Order: sequence, then C-alpha cells, then structure tokens
Amino acid sequence: MSVDFLVAMVGMGALYALLTIGVALLFGILGLMNFAYGEVIMAAAFAMYVFRDQPWPVAVGMAVVFAVALSLLSERLAFFRLRDADPVTLMIASFAVSLAVQSLARMTVLPRAQGVSPTGFLTRNIDVLGASVSVRDLLMLVLCGAALAGVALLLGRTGLGVQLRAAAEDFQMAKCLGVRADVVIPCAFAVVGLLAAVSAIVLVWRQGAVSAEMGLQPMLVGVVGAVVGGMSNLRGAALGGFLLGAATTLLETVLPTGLIAFRDAFLFTAVILVLVVRPQGLLSGAKVRVS
Amino acid sequence: MKMSGSLLRSAQTPVLLIGLTALIALVGSVAGPTVTRVSIVALVSVVFVAGQSAFTGNSGVMSFGHVAFMAVGAYATAYLTIPVGLKTVLFPDLPGGLGFLAQAQAGFLPAVLLSGAAALVLGVVTAPVVARLSGLQSGIATLALLIIVYNVLNGWTAVTRGSSSMIGIPRNTTVGLALAFAALAIVVSWAYRRSRSGLQLQAAREDHWAAVASGVAVGRHRAIAWVISAFLCGVAGSLYAGFLMSFNVSAFFLSATFAFIVMIVLGGYLSLSGAVIGALVVSVLQEFLRRLQDGQFTGGSPLPAGVADLILAAVLLVVLVKAPLGLMGVREICLPSRARRARRGAGGSPGEKAPEEGARVPA
Repeated sequence: MSVDFLVAMVGMGALYALLTIGVALLFGILGLMNFAYGEVIMAAAFAMYVFRDQPWPVAVGMAVVFAVALSLLSERLAFFRLRDADPVTLMIASFAVSLAVQSLARMTVLPRAQGVSPTGFLTRNIDVLGASVSVRDLLMLVLCGAALAGVALLLGRTGLGVQLRAAAEDFQMAKCLGVRADVVIPCAFAVVGLLAAVSAIVLVWRQGAVSAEMGLQPMLVGVVGAVVGGMSNLRGAALGGFLLGAATTLLETVLPTGLIAFRDAFLFTAVILVLVVRPQGLLSGAKVRVS
Repeated sequence: MKMSGSLLRSAQTPVLLIGLTALIALVGSVAGPTVTRVSIVALVSVVFVAGQSAFTGNSGVMSFGHVAFMAVGAYATAYLTIPVGLKTVLFPDLPGGLGFLAQAQAGFLPAVLLSGAAALVLGVVTAPVVARLSGLQSGIATLALLIIVYNVLNGWTAVTRGSSSMIGIPRNTTVGLALAFAALAIVVSWAYRRSRSGLQLQAAREDHWAAVASGVAVGRHRAIAWVISAFLCGVAGSLYAGFLMSFNVSAFFLSATFAFIVMIVLGGYLSLSGAVIGALVVSVLQEFLRRLQDGQFTGGSPLPAGVADLILAAVLLVVLVKAPLGLMGVREICLPSRARRARRGAGGSPGEKAPEEGARVPA
C-alpha cells in the first residue's frame, strides 16, 4: 500500500466519521435521523461559493456561520414542535425539511451547479515519506482529524460535553438530573452545524462545485455509517463512518472498471447485510463508550 | 345474519374507496386532456399507495423503498411492449444471457401482470430482510434497497440505457384501465387487511411482544405483506410506463419516494382509506401547485421552479405536527350505520369506537 493511497483512505475515513457523528449525535439525543443534514452541508458549501473571491479564511468562517445558522433554524422551525414524536415521524419530518431547503436553494440561488475554483495551494503535491501526496488529500486528513479530535475533547472534557453525552444516553433521566433540554438541544444542533461546515469545506475543495443536490451523498453516508456502527454510542458511530469511508476508497481501487459504476450497489448491499446480521449495529453489543 | 352484516360492513370501505376513485376517473374522462392526464396519474398513484399500504398500513413499518418495485415494473413493461424493431436499435449490446429481452413481446394486459410478477420476484428476494427488521432499521434497509435498484438501473447502460430515457413505449394506459387496476389494488389491499395474516400483522403493529407471545409469526406475515405490496407497486410502475411512453431512471428515486410519502402520511399511513384519499388529494394539490408555479394564478408570471416542492414539504410538516397519524388516523371510511347512530342518540356507550381511537402509535 502506497502512502498516497493510505492518506486518501484514512482521510476519506475521517471525513465519513465526521459526517456520521453529525447524524449520530442528534439521533442519540432526539431520536432524530436527520435527512436534512445534507442541506446543512449544502448551506456551508453555498457560503464557500458566495465568498469565493474573498481570502479563504473569510469563506471558511462564513461557511461555519451559515451551517450553524441553518441547523439552529431547522430546530426552531420544525423539530422543536416534534420533540416527543416517534423516530419514524421525525425521520419523515427531516425528509420534508430537506426537501424544503433544497427547493429554496433551487428557486433562489442555485438553479444549477456552480463552480468554485480551488485556492492555489490545494492543487499542489508535496512529498511525504518519499511519496508524492496531493495537498487536498492531506488537508482532508488533517482537517477532519482535527475536527474529530475537537469533538472528542468537547464531549470528553467539557461540562457541555458531559451533558450532551448524558442526553444521548438517556434523555429522560438526564432531564431529571438537571440537564436543561432548551440548552442541550440547540447546542447539539450548533455542534452538528459546525461539523457539517468542516465536511462541506472539505467536500467543496474536493469537488470544486456547489449544487442544490450536493447534500444527498454525504447525508446518506452519515445515516448509513451511523446505522452500521450502532447509534447508541458515538464512538461506534464514528467507527462505522470510518469503515464506510475506507471501504469506499478500497472498493474504488479494487473493483474492476466494469463494476465501478455499481459501487453504491455493493456498498448498500453490505449495509443491508450488516443490518440483517446485527440490527443494533456493529459495535453496539460491545460496551464501547465515548471517553 | 350477524355474519353477513359484518361482511357487508367490511365491504363498505373498499366500495366507497372505489367509488371515490371512479369519481376521479369520471371527471378525467369527460374533461379536457390536461385533466385526463391528472386523473390517470392520480389513479396510478392510488394503485401504488394501495400497494404500499398493504405493507406499511398493516405492519406499521414505514418503507422508503417501494418506488424500487415501481421502477422494476416500469422497466419490465418497457421490455415487453416496445416494438421489437425499435428494441434492437435501443439495446444493441445486450449481454448474451439477456438476449431474449430483445425478442420478448406481450400484449399490454399480460405485460402489466408480468411486470407485477417481476417486482414480486424482487419482493421475494428482499422479504427475509424485511421480515427481520422494524422501525428505523427497516427504514434504512428499504432506503438502501431503493439506492441499490437506482444504482443498478443507472449504471447498467447496456441493459437499462443508464441515464438515457427509455423511449417508444406504446401508450396503453387509459382512464378505464387505470381505474380497473386501481379498483383491483384497493380490493387486494383490503382483502389482505381483513385476512388472517393481515389481522395478525396489525396485532403485532399494536403490540409486538403480545402478538409474539400469542404465537403470531410476525416476520412471516410481514414478508407476505411485503410481497403483496411489491406486486401491486410493480403494477403501478407498469401502468405509469404505459402512460408516459418514455421515462428516465431519475423518475424512480427520492423525489418520487417523497411524493408518495406525502400522500400516505397526509391521509394516514395506518389506514387504507387514508392512503387512497391522500393519493387523490395530493395528486390534485400537485396539479394545482404546478399551475401556480407556471404562473396561472399570478397573472402569467411564472414563479421560480421549486415553489411546488417547498409548499408540499410545508404541508407535510404541518400535518406531522398537527396530526401525526394523518387525516384518517387508524379509521377507515364507512357509512354511519343506523344501529350505531341509534345507540349514540340514546347516549349509548362509545365502547365500539374506543379500541380504534385508543390505538397507539407504533414505536
């Protein structure tokens, strides 16, 4: 295995783990399987497009602002009223939110895909351990790795993190013990917005384009990774996402060219098999917890 | 005497529902071509939701994958009804094992049934998965099924023409035929609902463990419902293809899934009446929104594309917040019976309706 392939594989795994945590966090706390997550990513990517002529830190900063704002707004407008609904109702509601945001984007600013030309330093290659690795792949690895470490720190070391984990574990009990729903839930949505922004930045750098439908693929990755990993704990979910990302990169390399078009079919068949064999997720039975 | 009375009562609902769809068909057959188009789409939607309701309504498990059966039905109809001459042009490099597709030909009615059978085969293959899963896991697995079917149809260019449109399907779906199949779908779905298997599945929907403890093989009944609904949804896809004459694989993905979910949830996904009424209402609403978007109500200036979807999504959200079980809940439409009215007039017990209204939302 060459170094550049390894960097790409681990980087993809880290990105997918990030996407997965964004879905799993809300699922743990609210029972919400958030199909609108992709649209939060789309909002951040859209900010990257609007501020594409500004220096890149501005674009990145605005991406975070847009994503967090949309995430909080979706909570206030839709999910706030459905706090006690069952998971399937919530899932359908998030489907509706997703469609609403997507059609809003399509009717106003993104009727068709828009290109975002990558900043100069992204297209270069540098030497790592004697192998030529693209800066793009390396940055994906570093950025997603940093975000993952940040989440782990937030959840493991801060008061808010403890509350979030308690809420994800058993929200009823946490409420009885003084965790305030009106604080924890918006905070969770804000964290999810932040994670979505990081993923969006990486995705825009990789694809060089922004479109109204761009959220679909990352959202599916997040949902599937969370289900495969087991949604009851965040570390399992992150591992599920990581495995999914690594498997995707591996499939792209291993599959013969004739079958590459069917990558998703193979991937989702595997997902169904995992669900059949272990409906609770790969890691759920093992007592693995965050921190 | 009592037996025939209950039979009569339980036949009320399908008869009323068929009456409603016949009304739509009647409007469609006397009015102009635009209305005819809307009414055929509505009738095909009725076939689909009656099919999905056979599974979702009885098991209480939401499915995001039934559009995959519709896609299989539509493609099967395309292979069976496109003239042979055109087919050799459309599919120049069919792989050896599938060469028979280029020669296959059937009249429309057998083609519809064969398309349903093709979807049924997919249903049988996937039934073991559905039998084992419920709740969220089932939602994800059915979504995965949709993605797999979409991916294969989109990627297998030699056989399915990939992302290019399937063209040259003769138009066979008339209002009358669509109505006939809508009626058939309602009858089949209702018959299953009242069958032993359907009732046991509903019992499991209300209380899984109690049903299991009473000896109900939940998985087996869920699989039966799944296969029946696969057949009906395949028929819906076939009718859809026979109406459109040309279609694209993107017609059978998330936006179609969403449209059908709006229908089923708006009407009430636990009740067949809810699904059928939802299909009719949403079909009319969609046409209204399409005209709104084209600017027919705003003085000719078209609104940006996406307004229709936005309003549809907003409608769904409002329904989910205000009435999570939809307009019908778990009820079915029926005529107010004289005996019940008399009892109510005398201030009699509401006991007869209580178990229905008290039915809880399945987790």
